[in-house]
Amino acid sequence: MSAPFHTDVATSTSNQTAAAVTSSRRRRLADQVRDKTQLAGIVAVIVVLVVIFQIGNPVFLSPGNVIELLRSGTLYFIVACPATLVLVGGGIDFSAGAVYATGGVSAALLMVAGIPWPIAVLLGVAIGAVLGILNAALSVYLKVPPLIATLGVFFIASGVITVMTGGNSVFGFPATFTDLGQGYLLGVPFLVYYALVIGVVFWVLLEKTTLGYNARAVGGNRAAASANGIRVRKHDLIVYGIAGGVAALAGIMGAARFSSADPAAGGSGLTFQVVTAVIIGGTSLFGGIGSIAGSALGALLFATINNGLAVINVNSLWQNIFVGAILVFAVAIDQARRGRQFLSRK
Amino acid sequence: METADRLVPALELRGISKKFGRVTALEGVDLTARSGEILAIVGDNGAGKSTLIKAISGIYRPDDGEILVDGQSSTFTSPADARAAGIATVFQDLALVECLDVSTNMFIGQLPKKGWFVDRKRMDAESRRFLDELKVTVADVHTQIGMLSGGQRQIIAIARAVRAGARTVLLDEPTAALGVRETKHAADIITALREAGNAVIVVSHDIEFVFAFADRIQVMRLGRVAGVRKTAETTREEIISLITGTKQEATA
Repeated sequence: MSAPFHTDVATSTSNQTAAAVTSSRRRRLADQVRDKTQLAGIVAVIVVLVVIFQIGNPVFLSPGNVIELLRSGTLYFIVACPATLVLVGGGIDFSAGAVYATGGVSAALLMVAGIPWPIAVLLGVAIGAVLGILNAALSVYLKVPPLIATLGVFFIASGVITVMTGGNSVFGFPATFTDLGQGYLLGVPFLVYYALVIGVVFWVLLEKTTLGYNARAVGGNRAAASANGIRVRKHDLIVYGIAGGVAALAGIMGAARFSSADPAAGGSGLTFQVVTAVIIGGTSLFGGIGSIAGSALGALLFATINNGLAVINVNSLWQNIFVGAILVFAVAIDQARRGRQFLSRK
Repeated sequence: METADRLVPALELRGISKKFGRVTALEGVDLTARSGEILAIVGDNGAGKSTLIKAISGIYRPDDGEILVDGQSSTFTSPADARAAGIATVFQDLALVECLDVSTNMFIGQLPKKGWFVDRKRMDAESRRFLDELKVTVADVHTQIGMLSGGQRQIIAIARAVRAGARTVLLDEPTAALGVRETKHAADIITALREAGNAVIVVSHDIEFVFAFADRIQVMRLGRVAGVRKTAETTREEIISLITGTKQEATA
C-alpha cells in the first residue's frame, strides 16, 4: 500500500505528489464503495426477500401492507437511532427494551392520574433520560462494563414497572394523545413521519455536530479522545441520556398507537432487535464506525422479515433463524473490514 | 525572546509526588521548562518518565507538589485543563483515532464550529495550512489515520500539538518507531517548535537524539531527579552513569 503523503519534502517531486493524490483518491473511492457495498448488500437482501414474499402472497406489496410494514418498523427504527450513536461511541445499551416500556407505562400512569398528556409525555421522556444517565453513571463511575450496567438497568426498570402495574396494561388515555399515535396524513401513519424526523435529527447529530464527531473519536479510541481534551465521561452521560429519553419516547408513541401501555412491551425482544438492526446496518460493534442510513436499512430488513413471514403464513418462529444468520454474517463483514483497514499498517 | 520570558519558566514543577497504592512512581520531582528551549528527560524503564508526562498533561493528578504555568500555580484535573493552559502532549502511542481522517484528528477536542455544526471546510483548510507550514506534503487531509505509517502518524500528532496553540509541547518518545529519514523530519519539526519560542520537553531513550537536539537534560531515576545538565557541559558517560545510578547526586 503506497503512502498517501510524503514526509520528506526534498524528495517529493510534483510527480510523486500527483501519484499520491491519485492513489489516495482511489482509496477514498474504494472506502466509499466498500461502505456502500455493505449497505447495497442489505438492500439486495431486502429486494430478494420482497420478491420471495410477493411470489408467496401478492398481498405483500399492496399499499395497505406496505404501510403496515413501515409502521411496524418505525418504533424499532426510532430506538435504533440513539442506539447507533451509543454503539458508534463505543458503548452498548441493552436496557432499551425496558426503558421503552418504562416510558410508556410512566406516561400512562401519569395520564390516568389526571395529569395533562403533554406533561405526562415530557415526564416519561425525562424518566427514560434518567435511566439512560444511570446506565452511563454505572459504567463511568462504578466501572461496571456497559453490557452489564445496561442489563442491570433493564431488569431493574422492567421489574419496577411490573410491580407498579401488577403486570397489567395501563389504559384510558385522552383521545388527543391516542390520535397522535394512530392518525394518518396523506394515507401514511403519523408514526412514519415521527420516525423520519427523528432519523434526520440523528443523521445530523452524528454527521454534522461535535457530539457526533466526539462519538466517533470516543468509540474509535477512548484513551486518545480523552487525551485530546474530550470529556469522555460527560460524553457518555449525554449519549446514554439521549438514548434513554428517545427509547422512552418510542415507548410513549407505542402506548398512543395501541391505546395501552404494557409493562411487558419492548423487553429483551426489542433490545436485541434494535442492537441487531444497528449492527446489520454496518455500525461497528467496536465503536467509531456507523451510520443512521445503515440502521434504517437494518430496521427495514427486520420489518420486512417480520411482516413477510406472517403474510406468507410461515411460522414466525422461523424469523429468529433468519435474523441470527444475517447478524453473524454482518459482524463477519465488519471484522473483515476492520482487519483490512488496520492490520495493514504494521 | 524577551528577558521576561526567560525569567519566568513556561512550565515549572515543584516537589511533584505520585503514588499508586504502595508504589511510589514520583517523589519530590522538580522540573523547569523555558520558552525557546528543548529539555530532554531521560531515564531507565520505571524511572517515572511516563508518570511525569501524564502528571503534566493532566491524565494523573499528583498527590503532592505544585505545577506552575508562566509562574501561575495551576491544577489539572483532566487533559482538557492542561490543553487549556497551553500544554500539548504528543503521546508515545500517539493518541490518534485510527478510524478518523487526518483533519478530524488534528482538531479532536477543539472542533471549529459554524453555528450548531462542525465547520468541516475550515477544519480541512486549516489542517492543510498547518501541515504545509510544517512542510508535510499531505495529498489528502481526508485520509484515515489507519492508512498512515508510524512516521506519518508521529508528524500528524506533532502538527496537532502545534495547531492547538500550545506554548509548552511534551513529546513522549517521538522517535521510538521511526526510521532514519522520519527521525530527521521529526527532529526538524521539534527544532522548529523551539525556534517558534515554544518550551519543548522530550522524553527519549535515544541518547544520540538527545545530545543532538536538547539544550538541557534531566535524568530521572527510580521516581526521583538524578540530575539536570546543560547538554553543552556534560558527556554521554556522565548522563549514562546518572541513568544507571553509578554516579549518585545528593538530591535536596
